[in-house]
Amino acid sequence: MEEINQNEKNPLSTSWPSIVIAGGIFSLISFVLSLLFGYQQINSEPSGAIFSPLMLSGVVICLVTCVAGAVAVWHYTKEVTVYLTLGQGALIGFLTGVVIVIFSIILNELWMLFDPGYTEKLIEATIANVEAMDMPASTKEDMIDSMAESVRSQQSVLQQLFWGIPITGLLNLISGMIGVKIFAEKKEESL
Amino acid sequence: MQYKRLYAGVFIALTFLVLFALGEGFWGGDGKAVHWTKKLFYGVCHQLPGRTFTYNDVPMAVNSRCFGIFLGLLIGWLLIPAVKPLTAGTRWTVGIFFVAVMLQIIDYSGNLFHLWENTNQSRAFLGWILGFSASIVVSGLFQITTKNKDL
Repeated sequence: MEEINQNEKNPLSTSWPSIVIAGGIFSLISFVLSLLFGYQQINSEPSGAIFSPLMLSGVVICLVTCVAGAVAVWHYTKEVTVYLTLGQGALIGFLTGVVIVIFSIILNELWMLFDPGYTEKLIEATIANVEAMDMPASTKEDMIDSMAESVRSQQSVLQQLFWGIPITGLLNLISGMIGVKIFAEKKEESL
Repeated sequence: MQYKRLYAGVFIALTFLVLFALGEGFWGGDGKAVHWTKKLFYGVCHQLPGRTFTYNDVPMAVNSRCFGIFLGLLIGWLLIPAVKPLTAGTRWTVGIFFVAVMLQIIDYSGNLFHLWENTNQSRAFLGWILGFSASIVVSGLFQITTKNKDL
């Protein structure tokens, strides 16, 4: 009971470690995966396959980052208290999404110092793969524009923050609420 | 119903999520620069035009599976007030959610390894099931229970 009262005083401050740990780990996982798939794309011959390494990375990273909110809630229930309200879970999930976006930007910027030509090499490899695809020219052009812009967008820090936080935050907010359902015990909340 | 403000806030956010996902065909654009709705979903969707529905003859901002997920989330969220008495205090919704997750993995893997070929419609339908079950899984938490009042 004492534990519950302490958390009621300042539930956000007690949840920051879970948010930062889950956000940090999942942004690191998504960063490493994107590099692995990225260099695989760069170093492979253009096959024309629609399931290119870059596309696979997009799907895997999306799934990985959406789970982070639930994992942060799981960590909170293990380390702080199992009594967690839906609102607290939603907040933990949203903030985990924000942390993922910020950490991912930092990691990407650091990698640009290590390999400045990475983005351009990835764009070239992506375009070469799309050009080898068996599909109408207009569809190819759309795909090339979409993929190239997707990769280039990683160069702007502000754009990544502005466009990244709302959707990643919302999806992790929902994932955080699912985490409450699976891992937490319910208690009264004045929301 | 409890958490009314949270419910309303997420409802508004999901409504805009679906509207943004409709992309340039809904919001308008010059067709030259990459549309802002596409930028919004870069981090969560591959946005391949060949695997995307069109709206007003323009590819949406997300692929068919993601659009199905977002639409399922919104429709499931709308039904929360009606279904919460049925799902409060139960765990079967969690089971359905995990089945929906497995369906995505099986469908994606089957297509990847050429066991079958999925379509925009099949991907959107399976995505819809995932989004719908994700909303339903949390629905019971909005129900005011006797146990809750005792705490």
